[in-house]
Amino acid sequence: MNPTQSSDYRTAAVAGIGSERLQKSLHGLQDRFGKGAMKLWAGMEDREMRSRVKDSRMRTLEHLDIILAELAKNVRARGGQVYFAETGQDAIDYTIEVAKKNEVKRVVKGKSMTSMEINIDPALENEGIEVVETDLGEYIIQLAGDKPSHIIAPCIHLDRNQIGRLFTDKLGIDYTNDPPALTLAARKALREKLLSADMGLTGCNLACAETGHISLVSNEGNIRMATTMPRVLVALMGMERVVATLAEHREALQLLTRGAALQKLSTYVSFLGGPAAEDDPDGPQEFHLVIIDNGRCKILADPEFREVLACIRCGACLNICPVYGKIGGHAYNSPYCGPIGAVITPLLDGINKHADLCKGETLCGACREICPVENDLPRMLAALRHKLAYGSDRWNTRQHNPAEAYAFSFWRLLVTNAFLYRSFIAIGRIFQWPFVKKNKMIKKMAGLASGWTAHRDLPPIAGRTFSELWKEKYRTTRPAGPAAKIEEEK
Amino acid sequence: MDNQNSFLGNIRIALGLGAGEERDKSHYPALFSSPDTGAIVARMQNRTAEEKEELVNLFQENARALGIHTHIALTDSDAAGIVVELIRSKEPEFTHTKHIMQHDHPDIAALQLWKRFNREAVTVHTTFSADSELREKTITSFIGITAPVIGVADSATVIQFTTPGQPRSTSLVPSIHLALLRRDRLVADLSEAYALLGEKGYPDSFVFISGPSKTADIEAQMVHGAHGPREMHLIVLPAADGPLGKKEISL
Amino acid sequence: MAGNTVSLFIQCLVDTMFPQVGEAMVTVFDRLGIPLAYPEGQTCCGQPAFNSGYRKEAAAAARHFIEIFESAETIVCPSGSCVHMVRHHYPELFPGDADMAARARAVAAKTFEMTEYLVDVLDVTDTMAEFTGTVTYHDSCHLSRGLGIALQPRILLKNIRGLELIEMQNSDTCCGFGGTFSINYPEISTAMVDEKIDNILATGADAVVGCDISCLMNIQGRLSRRGEKVKVLHVAEILAGSRGGNA
Repeated sequence: MNPTQSSDYRTAAVAGIGSERLQKSLHGLQDRFGKGAMKLWAGMEDREMRSRVKDSRMRTLEHLDIILAELAKNVRARGGQVYFAETGQDAIDYTIEVAKKNEVKRVVKGKSMTSMEINIDPALENEGIEVVETDLGEYIIQLAGDKPSHIIAPCIHLDRNQIGRLFTDKLGIDYTNDPPALTLAARKALREKLLSADMGLTGCNLACAETGHISLVSNEGNIRMATTMPRVLVALMGMERVVATLAEHREALQLLTRGAALQKLSTYVSFLGGPAAEDDPDGPQEFHLVIIDNGRCKILADPEFREVLACIRCGACLNICPVYGKIGGHAYNSPYCGPIGAVITPLLDGINKHADLCKGETLCGACREICPVENDLPRMLAALRHKLAYGSDRWNTRQHNPAEAYAFSFWRLLVTNAFLYRSFIAIGRIFQWPFVKKNKMIKKMAGLASGWTAHRDLPPIAGRTFSELWKEKYRTTRPAGPAAKIEEEK
Repeated sequence: MDNQNSFLGNIRIALGLGAGEERDKSHYPALFSSPDTGAIVARMQNRTAEEKEELVNLFQENARALGIHTHIALTDSDAAGIVVELIRSKEPEFTHTKHIMQHDHPDIAALQLWKRFNREAVTVHTTFSADSELREKTITSFIGITAPVIGVADSATVIQFTTPGQPRSTSLVPSIHLALLRRDRLVADLSEAYALLGEKGYPDSFVFISGPSKTADIEAQMVHGAHGPREMHLIVLPAADGPLGKKEISL
Repeated sequence: MAGNTVSLFIQCLVDTMFPQVGEAMVTVFDRLGIPLAYPEGQTCCGQPAFNSGYRKEAAAAARHFIEIFESAETIVCPSGSCVHMVRHHYPELFPGDADMAARARAVAAKTFEMTEYLVDVLDVTDTMAEFTGTVTYHDSCHLSRGLGIALQPRILLKNIRGLELIEMQNSDTCCGFGGTFSINYPEISTAMVDEKIDNILATGADAVVGCDISCLMNIQGRLSRRGEKVKVLHVAEILAGSRGGNA
C-alpha cells in the first residue's frame, strides 16, 4: 500500500469533521447518490438481479483459476500479452520493463485504484518517466500533491476557489473559479498529454473471460483517450475483477454504473481485447494485461472474507455510510476508503496496522443494504474485530488490546453470575455519587467512559434497578412463570 | 507461462484444491453457459413498424437528458443537409480552419460530403486504411463522423465497432461527434444489444457511447467536454430497405 | 401464541439506568392483560462483547441467557439491538456445538421486540394510550435494517390519542452510538449524533421517541449537554402514557 499516507484515523477524522467544504460536499453527495441508489434498487423491476449477480460473482470466485485461464487464452489469441503478478512489486517490475523496452517517456493514467494500491507512480517516476493522471479529479489531486477522498469523486473535498488557485499556480492561467472554465483549462492541458503520451496505464473495471476483453467505464473520455492514442497499453487488473460470460457482464455492468452514479450506463464503456490491427492508425500496438494477486488469494482462501472479492468497486457504500459522511476519505489512509475500504484495507495490508478501520464504525448496516452485489460488510467488520480481540495466526494478527480483553474477561464473570452482576451494580451505584450533578446527569467520568462524557452527559445508575423494582413491586402480584422456577432451583 | 501456472496454482490452493490440479473448463459447462437469447432475438425480428417508430421516440427522449442532439432524417438527402448545416454552423475548438474526419462507410459516403464544400474552407478527410497521416488529420479535425452498428433506445447508447477503415479516434478526438444510424439498427435495451453481440459476434475493440464527454468532479457540477467530444449529434437515417428495413441487424 | 406468558428480557441498560422503561412496559402489558414473568437471573445478551470481537465472552453470556430463558413461552424485549443479537448472532456463537446452536435457534425463534410483538403477534395496534404533543421517531439501525421493523412502532404511535407524529429527515440514519464506538471514536460519534439532533430539532417536535434505549441514551446525553429541551422517550414510556423527561 501507499506508505506515504500516515494520518492517524481519529486525527484525520476530526480534521474531516471540521472541514466545512468537505461536510457540505459529502452531505450533497450522500443526499443525492446514497438515497438515489436506494430508491433505484427499490424501484427496480428485476428484483432478482442483485442476488443473481452476487451468485455469479461468487461462482466466478470459486472457479477463478478456470476463468482467468480462459481470459488469458482469449486475450493472447488476439496478440495481447497477459502477465500474472503475484505481488504488487511483480506488477511494477513488469510494467517498467514494458515501458523501458518501448522507450516510454510519458505515461497517461486512467483512474486506477489498483495502481495506487501497488504504488506504481513513484516507481515509474524514478525511471525518469512522466506520469500524468487524466481523470479530472485525479489530475487535480496530482497537481495539488493531495490524496483522493472518494472512489468516484476524488477531489470532492476541494472547492472551486482552491482549484482555481491551483490552476493559476500550476497551469499559468488567469484565475477563475468557474467549473466549466476550469474544466476547459484541464481539457486543453490534458489533451496535449494524451495525444503525445507513449503509454496508457489503466485499471480494469470488469474483464470478460468468454470474449477476452477488458472493459472500462468513464464519463470523461480520458480512458478512451489513454487506451487509443498511446502506442502501448498496460491494464492493471485485480484478479477478481472478471466475469465469465457476456451475459454476466451486462448485469454486472448495469449494477456498476447505477451504484456508482445512478446511471443506466456511463458515457463510455470501452471493450478492449488486444492490440490494434497492423494498419489501424490508432489503438495500442502492444496490449498488456497484468493480473494482480497482491494478497487477494489469502482473502479468497478464507470463507469469512471471500465475499469481499465480489465487490465491483462502484462506491455506493461510500454514498450512504454515516461515518464516511462525517470523516471523508483521507481518514482511511488507503486508496480504498469508505465501508469497502474498511474491510479490504486491513485484509490486504494488515489487520493490526489498520485496526481503526476495523473498529471505527457503528455496524449500522446501511452499506449492506445499498451494495449492488449484496455484500455483508458489517459481518466482515465484526469478523475483523474478532481477529483483533484474540489475535489470529492465519492473519498474522496479534491481540490488539490486552487491557480491553481483560476487561471483557471480567465482564464475562459478571454476566454469567447474577449475584456478582447485581453486587457490582450496587457498588457502582455508591461510587458514582460524586459524579452526579444537579441535573441528575454525570458530566465527567474518568477512564473508559471519559470518551463519552467529553461530549455527552451520562445518566447515573438508577436508585432502584428494574430487577430490584420487580422484586419489590411487581413479582408478588403475578405468577412465577416457568423461567422463574428455574431461577429458584438454581 | 510459468508465472501463470504458479499464480493459478495459488488460487487452486486457496480454493482447497491441489496446486497442480489443473481444472479444464470442459468439465464445468455451467460456468460459460448463458441463458438462451432466442426469445430476445425473436422479439427484435418481429418488431412492427409502429414499435420501431416508438424506439426512435424513446431514443430521442433519453438522448435529450444526456445531452445528445437527435436529428431525424426522412431521406438520405435530408441527412446530407443536416450534416452540412452542422458543419457550417459549428466552429473549431483547437484550430482556425475546418477539417472533418469521416469513417469509410457506405452510409457516410452516400452523403457525398467531399463535393458539398467547394466554395468553403472545409477539408473532408476519410479514414482510408492506407493513409499514414490519419492520426494527425484526426487530431486536426473538429468533427468526426461515424456510423455505429447498433443504437440502444433505453440508454440512448450507440455501439461503435473498430474495423479496418473505421478507427477508434474518429468518435473520440474531434470536438464534435456526428453519428449516423439507420433507424432499423435501433434496439430497445441493453439485453437486446448484448443478445445481438452474442449471436453475431464482436470485434477486438468496441465502445458503448451514451453522450458527449462530461464530468462533475469540481464541486459536483456537471460540465460537458472533459476529454472526449464536448458535443454529440445523432442523425437517424431512414431504414436500409424500405420502411421496415431488414429483419435482422447485421453487425 | 397470543395467550402466552411473556417473559421480560429487559436489557441491561434498562435494568441499571432506565428502569422507568421497564416499568412502562409492565404498565402497558398489564393494561392489555398479558401475563408477565421476569427471570431474575438475566444479565446481558452479550452484544457489547460480540461487537468488540470477543466472541468467547459473548458466547458465555449467550449460554447464560439461553439457560435462563429457554423454558419461557415467549420472550419480549424493549430493544431491537438485543433481539437482533439473539436472533442473528446467537446461532453463530457455537460453531462445532450443534446442540447449543439448536438451543440458541429455539430461543431465537421465540424472542421478539416489543412493538413487533404487540403489532405482529398480538395484532394490537391501539394500546389505549394518550399523549398530547408532537413526537418524531428515530429508527434504530438494528431494529429497522437488522430486523425490518419500522412500520410497527409508527402504527402504535399513530393510534395514541392526542399524539401527532412528524417524520424527521433521515430518520433511519445511524445516531452514532455503536456501542464502544461512542467511547473509542467520540468525535465521530458526536458529529453523527449532532446531525441526528439537528434533524430532530428541525421537526419542532416536543419529543423524540425510539425503540432502543442505547440510541436514546446517546441522543439524550448529547441533548442534555447541548442544553436542548426536547424530551426523549422510549416507545414503552409513551405507550404507558408517561409524560417523560430529559434528564
